[in-house]
Amino acid sequence: MPPSASSPKQLPPVVEFRGVDFRYSTHTVLHNIHLSAERNRVTALIGPSGCGKSTLLRCVNRMNERFVGARVSQGQVFVKGKNIHDTDVDLTQLRKQVGMVFQKSNPFPKSIYDNVAYGLRIHGVTAKDILDDAVERALRSAVLWQELKDRLNQNALRLSGGEQQRLCIARAIATNPDVLLMDEPCSALDPIATLQIEELMQQLARDYTVIFVTHNMQQAVRVSDYTAFLHLGKLIEFGDTEELFSNPKQKLTESYLRGTFS
Amino acid sequence: MEERLAPLERQSLGCMLLKKKKLNALGFDTQKFIRFFFASNASVTIIVLVLIMLMLLREGAGFLKTYKYELETYRHAGLEFCDIVDRPLAQHQQLTSRLRRALGASLDTISQHARNRRDAYLNMKRQIEEESSLQREALSVALEQTPSAGDKIIEPLRTQLAIAGVKSAMSLTVRSFFSLDEADKIRAELSQLSPETKDIPAFLKQLNDHFSTSDKAAKKSFATLVKATEIFEEAPETLQEILIEIKEHVLQTKTAANEFNTLKSGRLKLLEAAENTQNPVEKADLLKEAAATQAMPVDFHQRIKLVTSRADELAEKVHQYITAIQKAAANLPTRGSPAHAIALLDEVHHELPLHVQEMQTAADEIKTWSPDKPVSFLTVIGAFFFGSNWITNSSWQDSFGFVPLLTGSLIISLIAIVIATPISLMAAIYSNQFASEREKELIKPVIEFIQAIPSIVLGFIGISVLGDLIKDVSEVTWLQWIPGFPIQERLNMFNAGCLLALMAIPTMFSLSEDALNNVPEAYVDASDALGATKLQTVFRVIVPSAFSGMAAAVLLGIGRVIGETMVVLLVAGNRIAIPDFSSGAGVVFQPAHTLTGIIAQELGEVSRGSTHWQALFMVGIVLFCISLIINWCARTFVRRFEQFKA
Repeated sequence: MPPSASSPKQLPPVVEFRGVDFRYSTHTVLHNIHLSAERNRVTALIGPSGCGKSTLLRCVNRMNERFVGARVSQGQVFVKGKNIHDTDVDLTQLRKQVGMVFQKSNPFPKSIYDNVAYGLRIHGVTAKDILDDAVERALRSAVLWQELKDRLNQNALRLSGGEQQRLCIARAIATNPDVLLMDEPCSALDPIATLQIEELMQQLARDYTVIFVTHNMQQAVRVSDYTAFLHLGKLIEFGDTEELFSNPKQKLTESYLRGTFS
Repeated sequence: MEERLAPLERQSLGCMLLKKKKLNALGFDTQKFIRFFFASNASVTIIVLVLIMLMLLREGAGFLKTYKYELETYRHAGLEFCDIVDRPLAQHQQLTSRLRRALGASLDTISQHARNRRDAYLNMKRQIEEESSLQREALSVALEQTPSAGDKIIEPLRTQLAIAGVKSAMSLTVRSFFSLDEADKIRAELSQLSPETKDIPAFLKQLNDHFSTSDKAAKKSFATLVKATEIFEEAPETLQEILIEIKEHVLQTKTAANEFNTLKSGRLKLLEAAENTQNPVEKADLLKEAAATQAMPVDFHQRIKLVTSRADELAEKVHQYITAIQKAAANLPTRGSPAHAIALLDEVHHELPLHVQEMQTAADEIKTWSPDKPVSFLTVIGAFFFGSNWITNSSWQDSFGFVPLLTGSLIISLIAIVIATPISLMAAIYSNQFASEREKELIKPVIEFIQAIPSIVLGFIGISVLGDLIKDVSEVTWLQWIPGFPIQERLNMFNAGCLLALMAIPTMFSLSEDALNNVPEAYVDASDALGATKLQTVFRVIVPSAFSGMAAAVLLGIGRVIGETMVVLLVAGNRIAIPDFSSGAGVVFQPAHTLTGIIAQELGEVSRGSTHWQALFMVGIVLFCISLIINWCARTFVRRFEQFKA
């Protein structure tokens, strides 16, 4: 088993799972997960359907806990060195620090500007110049500024699928989070839009710690620095992407990568 | 080892490709027939709607023509001529009644005491007479008997009456404005009342005398006011005499014209029947009958000359009237006591110039009035849509002005919407976003159940509970700052508006709840992931996303309210008049009639095809158009919503 200890660690981990079990009321979907995501690196979560990738991702900003009975039953999750289940943790602040992008783009039926400014506004920012500035920075980071700077008041639902997804990324990073979670961000997009998002993800890694879930193993190879392979709620293997793909240590990983099962 | 099933037999290709014989009747096979059946069900609704529209239009369209004819007769016969003077003259009555009240208040300052004493005595007398009425009756029956019943019977009755009289006289509570001596005197006098004595009791006579002297004194000290009031009251008498003469004349003209018209249409029908019949005997009969109904048309020209020739005389009388009331008004005191009377007189002073001016214009107008001015269709349409009177079955002139009904409907709907919109929207937001499953199970069925209450039952509640409740509340002292309080009528627009709000709530609630339900869950995810609280998510994302759906819900609620009939008919008070807006927001506590109510109330009583009947159908058409527009708006809103649904 190669837990976090084996991965290179010149940087302290931003997100760390320590022996996490997660259960939906009666059945446990994650078993004893040890995982850490390094600062300014891209970490990919791969594995067959239903292996718990999304659940693991959503543990970081506690999005799972909106459902009755869903909870971390054992272990701890640390974000920036703080156990996020401590009673003094403010959930809204946690989610401000940990942005999230969903599988299907979901901009609000508002203007482009209002979409990006939403996160700041709900955290109490009202000053026009701060909002303007943040919107511009976020859109620039999402490589949308050139396309959209003249039509910020247009309804966001009129944008194309790829633009909508990049807008969602802009919305997530407008509050300047440390971690960016992405749940299969390209699965609903065409190949060109996918390529754009992948490039964007690598750029984003300069400023953010990116953790993403993907079904597409090529994407994991192209984009990520580290890869974690999950199977039936267990972390089978975690390590440097190149190493994991070229020289898997576990039999299960090898057969999954070869396509023996999926 | 699993048992292998025998393979299914397959038909040969040739068998499959052959067309099967199908059931075929009138060119329809089963498929076509079923399709046709479903299509016809869908089209039935459309056809019915078109038929309803055509029906309404057919009945209502004739209205403009008939109403035009009525307005023409109104002008040609000279009714309009009379109304020019008569309408402003109505103001005179209001002014007079103010003067009378002012005079009464003034006189009371001197003679009130004497009058109160006399009235109190009379009241006590009546009370005693009532209490001993049985004995009194028996005695008077005995006395009237012929031959006389004899002392043996009469005496005991007399004693009984005396006992009853004394008994009730002793139990009298004498009002404070009699001294103790006087109270004893009154008791003594009243206990001796008997049917035989015809004279007025001495003390009453004294009280009467006292009152008449003090009344005389009062009238003397307010002599100018008394005189002015008298002059004011008598001022229009000569004017009215002439007016009544003319009115009788023009009314005869109008009746004759209407009779002629009825005969004419009857004759035309007979002639038509004669034309169509084959039987020569019958035909001859019909023609004879038609000839018998031949009548002379009314010569409007000849008859109106009699009216117009008196225009100068009438104008002269109007001027006389104006000088008379101005003179009387000049003599009215402007200061003195009591304050109440002076306030009333001030009002008269204030309103008089306007009245004088109106009469002046009327005098000028009758001189230039001509019966031959044509009545255009525009005038007729204006008279309907902007007319401020809805008068039917009048001996003078019917008028079908739509404004009082429209204002009633609009105000009631406005009240209902103002009340229902916040309640239903908030309830919908709560039940959709915040309520627990158990609360939802309570809230939704209960609100939706309101829809099942028959509107007539709500009407009962309005009459028996809500009306009294509103009236009682309006009499609470510390609520008097609310405009319109205390209210006069139990049945008013506010009451109806409250009940209609109750009826609109289920519609608005269900539809806006649906709109909230339709907001994609992905929006909530995105908002949550950004760290929004529940309230922020609801009010910044969900409600704005559902806005157009909720607006459509409110519009459909308005549609429901405008079209509701039974409740407004029972509860709105049914006074056909434009509400008096001078009291500001208090206007909502006035009774009114509505577009729907008037149709329900009057359609059953009018004769088919009459102007009144057609006018009601016109109201129906307008109502239909309003509903159509509201529905169209609601649909547009929803369509805008659909456009942005990803």
